[in-house]
Amino acid sequence: VMIKTEKVLHLRSSRGRKVRVVREHYLRERVPCSSALCQAECQNEGKVLSADLTHYVVPDAGVVCDFLEVLEFRELQGVVFTQTACQAAQQSRGRSRLYNRLRSLLKDPRHDCILFANEFQQYSFCLREKGESQEKWQTRCIYHSAVWYYNHLAGLRPVVMITEDLEAIAEYSSLNSEVYVISTQVEYLRSFCPDLLAAQELYCSISQAMQERESESTEREFADHLPAEVLEAGIKSGRYIQGTLNVNKHRAQHEAFVRFEGSASKNTELNSDILVCGGKHRNRAVQGDVVAVELLPVKEWQGRNTALTEGLGEDKTGDETQSQPMPTGRVVGILQRNWRDYVVTFPPWEEVQSQSRNSQRILVTPWDYRIPKIRISTQRAKDLQDHRVIVRLDSWESTSLYPNGHTVRVLGKAGELETEVQTILVECCIYAPPFSEAQLKEMPVNSEENPWKVDPSEVNARLDLRDTHLVFSIDPLGCEDVDDTLSVQVLPGGKRLQLGVHIADVTHFVQEGSLTDLEARARATTYYLADRRYDMLPAVLSADLCSLLGGVDRYAMSVLWELDAQSLSVCKVWYGRTIIRSTYQLHYELAQALLNGEQVEVPELAQMEQAERDQRLTELRQALELLTRLARHLRAQRDKGGALELEGVEVRAQLDSDRNITALVPKQPLEVHETVAECMIYANHWVARKIQEHFPHQALLRRHPPPRQEFFNRLIDCAKTRGFSIDTRSNKALADSLDQAADPLDPLVNRLLRMMATQAMSNAQYFSTGACPEEQYYHYGLALDRYTHFTSPIRRYADIIVHRLLMSAISAEKESGPNTHLVPNKELEELAQQINSRNRAAQIAQKQSTELFQCLYFKDKDPVTDERCVADAVVYSIRANGMLVFVPRYGLKGAVYLKNRDGHVLSLKRDGSCVWQPGSLQRYPDKISSTTSIGTHTFNVFDHITVRVSVQSSRCHSDSLCLEVIANRPHQTPQAECHPAPRGRSELVQEVVRLAEEASQQANENGRAPKLTREEREFRQSRKPNLYSLLVEIGELALLDLAACEQISAGSQACTASA
Amino acid sequence: MAGIELLSDQGYRLDGRRATELRKVQARMGVFAQADGSAYLEQGNTKALAVVYGPHEVRGPRAKSLHDRAVINCQYSMATFSTAERKRRPHGDRKSSEMSLHLKQTFEAAVLTQLYPRSQIDIYVKILQSDGGNYTACVNAATLAVVDAGIPMRDYVCACTAGFVDDTPLADLCHAEESGGGTSLSLALLPRSGQIALVQMDARIHQDHLDTLMEAAMTACKGVSRVLDGVVRQHLQEVSVLTA
Repeated sequence: VMIKTEKVLHLRSSRGRKVRVVREHYLRERVPCSSALCQAECQNEGKVLSADLTHYVVPDAGVVCDFLEVLEFRELQGVVFTQTACQAAQQSRGRSRLYNRLRSLLKDPRHDCILFANEFQQYSFCLREKGESQEKWQTRCIYHSAVWYYNHLAGLRPVVMITEDLEAIAEYSSLNSEVYVISTQVEYLRSFCPDLLAAQELYCSISQAMQERESESTEREFADHLPAEVLEAGIKSGRYIQGTLNVNKHRAQHEAFVRFEGSASKNTELNSDILVCGGKHRNRAVQGDVVAVELLPVKEWQGRNTALTEGLGEDKTGDETQSQPMPTGRVVGILQRNWRDYVVTFPPWEEVQSQSRNSQRILVTPWDYRIPKIRISTQRAKDLQDHRVIVRLDSWESTSLYPNGHTVRVLGKAGELETEVQTILVECCIYAPPFSEAQLKEMPVNSEENPWKVDPSEVNARLDLRDTHLVFSIDPLGCEDVDDTLSVQVLPGGKRLQLGVHIADVTHFVQEGSLTDLEARARATTYYLADRRYDMLPAVLSADLCSLLGGVDRYAMSVLWELDAQSLSVCKVWYGRTIIRSTYQLHYELAQALLNGEQVEVPELAQMEQAERDQRLTELRQALELLTRLARHLRAQRDKGGALELEGVEVRAQLDSDRNITALVPKQPLEVHETVAECMIYANHWVARKIQEHFPHQALLRRHPPPRQEFFNRLIDCAKTRGFSIDTRSNKALADSLDQAADPLDPLVNRLLRMMATQAMSNAQYFSTGACPEEQYYHYGLALDRYTHFTSPIRRYADIIVHRLLMSAISAEKESGPNTHLVPNKELEELAQQINSRNRAAQIAQKQSTELFQCLYFKDKDPVTDERCVADAVVYSIRANGMLVFVPRYGLKGAVYLKNRDGHVLSLKRDGSCVWQPGSLQRYPDKISSTTSIGTHTFNVFDHITVRVSVQSSRCHSDSLCLEVIANRPHQTPQAECHPAPRGRSELVQEVVRLAEEASQQANENGRAPKLTREEREFRQSRKPNLYSLLVEIGELALLDLAACEQISAGSQACTASA
Repeated sequence: MAGIELLSDQGYRLDGRRATELRKVQARMGVFAQADGSAYLEQGNTKALAVVYGPHEVRGPRAKSLHDRAVINCQYSMATFSTAERKRRPHGDRKSSEMSLHLKQTFEAAVLTQLYPRSQIDIYVKILQSDGGNYTACVNAATLAVVDAGIPMRDYVCACTAGFVDDTPLADLCHAEESGGGTSLSLALLPRSGQIALVQMDARIHQDHLDTLMEAAMTACKGVSRVLDGVVRQHLQEVSVLTA
């Protein structure tokens, strides 16, 4: 079947000599063509090119190597990558990233492209002739493949080969009438997809960048990187240290740290990060790169800078603010670049002209402070001034001070709301376009004329709880995506209770490997921003068919516990698929009112007779009471184990300050919140136990590692200033001592302490049980030995995985056969890491979008006259030239400077107001004092001061809020009392959105075409997110700091406001 | 682990074979008139020449002879021009002594030595071109030479290598695949009975994968045995035509 030929290669041996190597090369007649049009019955597996295209495209090797990004557009369909081109991409030096991109492109089912193994096809393979250059041979091979492909499909579709090689066009274009060889890609792009302007622009920017690179100076700015073999050997021997580069955001030019990866045990004497000072030592490494570092001699070690720096402030601060010297090193090589897309801002045109003689090369400033300026060559600098643009890095030669890049896409004018939100998304690597048609086609239909019905075969396969169980859900008012419902009843005989948690059965609708599944996996979570959200699943699922709405039949995954009625210990647990009909869709206030015994109207019972209504009401009330009793018991059990209650208080306070949420839920959190949360934690815990038991090496769990003790130092020091002692030896001790550390006069003290404790915690994260020793499964915050996420499959992908695992555990139990559909440990661990990183991105995006809205809110207020810009703040940390404060009214945290750029320090007049005067600052661990001619004034930790909030706008970066002290006493707001509803944050968001809409309308009238309003309407189709889920989220300590907690509620508020 | 991709996503190996496909095996028997038996075998680009003398009286010290069976004496060598870089290869270096020993063990298991007490059988093998699987090519060539010499054997001894890449076993590794850093298992099999004459593996592999790897190697050996059988039959036909 196969024909053997030989290939002669000239390789370089390990000693650097040239060696002639002969390799076999087998050819065969049948190589799958992967086209749906195939007439020859090829055995096509996996992806297949669709048939309804006008032509197929075969890119040349040069095109694949240089312009792969253009081919990545999903609009370009029917792309046949030849093996020759792929190998060229693989072999191109230092471009393993390129090949990996190509591979993932080929694997991605959303792209209509395939790989054709032309070199193994008998008739499309050409032997390289003597003296033929590699490029010529590749082009010839690819041309022959294109011809073969055309003939193989019996001429049903024309094939277009695109190349950059003009000679090839001259040679081949006239040979075959239906196989076109087209010159530049621009020609192809212009004639075949004229609508895809973005691709044409991208093409131009890449080719320009390439031309520029050829004409580069040779002056050396940086030391060369060491070759990969040397680095590898050096890392093994311990001479170099491998780690990820982390740039200090506030001192991006000077300070960067390298954090170890993996085996830190080798370097036991080094357990801190390594400092990399200055650009020369950083040696072209960019934030996030994996680098190899060489330590400098001990006498050259430096300390980190502890002074606060103001945003862009590039001042040369003296050495007196440095901390203890720490290990310092220099980068000797880069193991892996982790470049992503960066948002940059083009400088104004005048600046460009003065910057350089030829205006085609300009330096643009990235939005992220940590990224160096990027050099770009473009002719559109004039059009793009003050625009935000996505840029990719190409290279950073040792001869250049700045990296080279090319533009990819224009986001819009800086400062506009839509541009800024898109900027945040790009910077967080969030890509959430509307769901594609193919994905929506997979969805079941539920419309007026064609309502969705329960499948009778499913009824047989599932446990039917519709008539036997009283199922109800408790969510915020008006919630549409109901993930979870509850049921509780006394079993016949009265000795046992049955508690049930029923979760939406998303996996029934989302098949593993379907397009929806892949999209959900890529998103990993629903993204909540301050004014909008991006769903993980299409709306037909998340708001309708998966949502466990009241009064309709729905599929569910259930956990049913049989508990002893007296001791409440678990006797039996049942897991499985069920079919339910939720009787009551309650909201929290209603449920609490029922519990309190108040007379309330339950909408579901409004139509009934008085007697029946009373009976039903009693039934429901009893169920709720039972549930509350159970939850109290569960909570008490976890408290015994040392569960932390850091954030419950946070949220409480959070709710206080946010008046708009108080319209939704009472100021004091209701017990019913905790009841529901407790049941969910219980369900998660039991599911985690089940899947871990069944799949000890490939179950997805969630762990929360205990925090490092040294992170608590700040908390302990702070608490000491108020006379509290904090015991951090275990989670139980910490919980107890935090409870005691409350100042009756100032509730904020306890709140701040809890905030600091939260900050000291590490993040909870998903992991695969096979990738982690069993003693590390522990969840510190919840005090549970096993934990996972099971209860919100509509908005978290991890829950979907857990649902699948649980189903295979159940079916394995029934059939006792090995299950073949399991994700292996390695893959699962990668997936878990991906979900973790997406979650982190979602949190950061939330935080940044809230900051954005805060800035937009304060932007048009005059800080001097507007009362709303003055607020009360509490000092919570002391720095060398200032302090960090917390503004409870807006939930802001920020720095306050006591020393300005002129070296003046802040001093207080007799009446409490502040002035800048020459003087000095003295810093102590728990206070800071400024001494001037007027006198000395000291600020202590936990002092209340009055600050003024103003916006510091920035052209290239996000705007930031700036706080300044205006008095050293608590701020009195007499208006606050007479103002029943001061501006809460959600109102703030609302107002900003409204202003933006007005602005865009105005722009519309002026003849520009913004899509803003339409998109706004589209994105804010949102329903109210589930407040319970917010509580759970926080309850699991998934959050880095308070700021992140606030984002969620801010997000929810925004949605509420717009709903 | 940097390096080349040994198995593409489409399931092709570097040289265009699929995972279970063997390299092309070609062989001729009776290439030398002087020797009692001889054979030349190509397995892909690995080329081996095997020559058999015997059975004859034990040469050298009498003490080596065994009273109940024949002694098998193997010698393995590589031509200086067999690899990409020319290199002088004196006899008796450690690698070739080990290979000689392995060959000896393999053929002691296969040849019916008890038919020839107090005698000796010499098997000389030389690799003319090396491209991975030297041992297996030697075994296969030597089998043919032993058959050519008319020495009775239990069965053909067929050998083949197998490797393991991305959870997939690869049959009959070439040099690039062998040096790629993965596992390589050599197996010599008596195909009809399924008995293993020799199995050798130096690299580490997870226990779970060993069975699939052995399975792949055995299937490959059986494939080789069909080819060898064909060669023998064809040779016999040619010889009988000549003699008739």
